[in-house]
Amino acid sequence: MRPVAVTGLGVVSPLGNDAGTFFAALVAGRSGVRRIALRFPERMVTRIAAPVDFDAPSHFPAPRLRMLDRVSQLALVAARQALEQSRGALDGLDPGRAGAFVGTGMGGAQTTDDGYYTLYGERSDRVKPFSVLMAMNNAPAAWIGMDHGLQGPNLTYSTACSSSTVAIGEAARRVAAGEVDVMIAGGAEAPLTFGTLKAWEALKTLAAEDPRDPAASCKPFAADRSGLVLGEGAAMLVLEDLARARARNATILARLVGYGLATDASHVTRPSVDGQARAMRLALEDAGLDVDAIGYINAHGTGTPANDPVETAAIRQVFGARAGATPVSSTKSMHAHLLGAAGALELVAAILAAREGVLPPTMNLAVPDPECDLDYVPNVARRVEGLAAVMSNSFAFGGTNAVLVACRD
Amino acid sequence: MNTFERLRALLARDFDLAPEALQPEATLENLEIDSLRMIEILFCVEDEFKIVVPAEHAELKERLHTLGDLAAYIDGLVQALPKAPA
Repeated sequence: MRPVAVTGLGVVSPLGNDAGTFFAALVAGRSGVRRIALRFPERMVTRIAAPVDFDAPSHFPAPRLRMLDRVSQLALVAARQALEQSRGALDGLDPGRAGAFVGTGMGGAQTTDDGYYTLYGERSDRVKPFSVLMAMNNAPAAWIGMDHGLQGPNLTYSTACSSSTVAIGEAARRVAAGEVDVMIAGGAEAPLTFGTLKAWEALKTLAAEDPRDPAASCKPFAADRSGLVLGEGAAMLVLEDLARARARNATILARLVGYGLATDASHVTRPSVDGQARAMRLALEDAGLDVDAIGYINAHGTGTPANDPVETAAIRQVFGARAGATPVSSTKSMHAHLLGAAGALELVAAILAAREGVLPPTMNLAVPDPECDLDYVPNVARRVEGLAAVMSNSFAFGGTNAVLVACRD
Repeated sequence: MNTFERLRALLARDFDLAPEALQPEATLENLEIDSLRMIEILFCVEDEFKIVVPAEHAELKERLHTLGDLAAYIDGLVQALPKAPA
């Protein structure tokens, strides 16, 4: 198997629209969570989310924009950034040796919402002519392929909250196996529509708004956590055969060394310690690394009552005596839960933590929970020396647990 | 504005087409208006002229080759509309 390099990162997030701005905001402990207004604001119980500040017309001409759901807009901009940072990953490459794998949980949710509003709300049959093309789940990956002429594999993974972690892991395997030389891989999600928010509300998993500070509503690993906050955005990585990246003198931002995939096969929402632990172990095995080598874990850390103690127990099971000494943080406390895009965004955070030697904190962790007893880097970023390998966890409704391990070159 | 002028304004505004290229004899092919783009244009035309385009797409392809053809087709539909009471 060939080693896989990360040579580009692209981010469109609630904390800024490039990877550097995003990571600086994490280190500063800034939150992208705020009150938002959607259709029928008076009917929204949950009024907080983490939107992206995004000027779509500055990125796309109007006729193109009318074909793109917001999820594809975010995906395309993140992919362009990642390719730009790679400085020529596609130059001189047979287009059949490059592809795009994208994870998304809800696809073109805004288009679906708008279409149903037209049909059922306005009782009109004037559904937009491109609704199918905009709403289809593979639209973000397909448009990335068209934007850059990638004629190799183009796949969309939808495993709820682990979608983009799976997309990146699967893409890395294609590069490692020698089937392709370059992949754009990541995730995109744009779920901030009235219909989607109402559906999440109904599941009783969303965080209550913090009465003093709405931006502090997501409290992973804290005793007063009350749920997740929905966010939107996209994160894309350029994955490349390491030897090729070296030969063209590319900056190697990280090497992607481990991918673990394990399914709970037990309950649709209730997470399993064993399932999560197996995914982490498989990723470590794939990387050929011992737990000692992992200097930071970017947790799934949703801030739901169910996830956080289970993830803590899973980390304890895998890391054993090292668990307490391994820093773990949930950056969802700041960028919220990007669902299908979460894993990609959090892998970017973990890679930049390794590069910069700074661990982003878990914010809003004031009241400790006895069941969550790891080092969560509470409330303040931490500078560390010699950070080599990092892990990023993504666990999903449906039970598909995916874990990635990256290390500095 | 006559029908052609309204059509031209719509295409220039919403479809990024250069107004000077939008002449009655300009062919849809030369304007790079493919069948997918035509579906969207007809959707907008329905809104603009308050008409319903009844024809199946294959039939339109036979009939419409230039912007002038499209304007004439729209005119026919507008004239067939029931007259509003005075």
